[in-house]
Amino acid sequence: MTGSTEERLRDTLDLLATQIEAVPPAYAPARATWRRRERRRRLILAVLIAVVFTVVDIVGLWALNQAQDGTHVIFDDRNRTGQYVPAPPSGIGPP
Amino acid sequence: MTPFTARAHAVSSPVPAQRTEPPDDREAALAQLFQAHYPALLRLAVLLGADDAEDIVAEAYYQLYRRWRKLRGTEAALAYLRSVVCNLTRMRLRHLQVVRKHAGPREYGVRSAESSAETEALLQDDQRALVSALKDLPARQREALVLRHWLGLREAEIAEAMGISCGAVKSHTSRGMAALTRAMEERR
Repeated sequence: MTGSTEERLRDTLDLLATQIEAVPPAYAPARATWRRRERRRRLILAVLIAVVFTVVDIVGLWALNQAQDGTHVIFDDRNRTGQYVPAPPSGIGPP
Repeated sequence: MTPFTARAHAVSSPVPAQRTEPPDDREAALAQLFQAHYPALLRLAVLLGADDAEDIVAEAYYQLYRRWRKLRGTEAALAYLRSVVCNLTRMRLRHLQVVRKHAGPREYGVRSAESSAETEALLQDDQRALVSALKDLPARQREALVLRHWLGLREAEIAEAMGISCGAVKSHTSRGMAALTRAMEERR
């Protein structure tokens, strides 16, 4: 039964396919459309990248501008109480 | 085997790893592909149930134009086009299902009924029933059956076109065929 269904399906699909009018459109206008779409896609991508880059730059500059001058995060010579601690003469000191 | 089936076999046979044409020949190769395979791809989209087959095929060629440099070779182009047509048709059908669910059948139902009536005018009763049963199948099963029985593709080629494994192709094909057989038996 499956075999006959397969055969009938094949015939039906062939018949359906032959009824479909499929004339390819002219290639040149189609290619012009592809090129136009590709140019637009690249332009949008470039604008998007520029916008993201600019926004990130602005946010970074704003954050740096908000930082206080006196606060040193990495190289800080003061102890926890804010007092200046000179380096030991031997060069070895408490961590 | 139909002439198109033979051509599809000839062009989509095993894909070489190396590009066989320099990239500068893209325009000529695309023009040749466009003239040779546009009708067959349009028919494939219609048989898969697309209501806007021209748009789908045009989009498939645009995607090929965009990604030509990433293609494994010119021989892979037809398989890629088939794959894009299958995917876009499936996406379109899902979109229409959602639209119908929210908007009701008044707009899209009439349009699809008119187009299918024109297409199926010359079919016999049992063929019409078969087409109706084919339309009721899930999209994956319908794709597998059309690629297998209309294009005459091998399982590996169907798997590549649908983006699934060979085992899944077998499963979809056998389930789809079983559903069609059941529908035809119930009709008697």
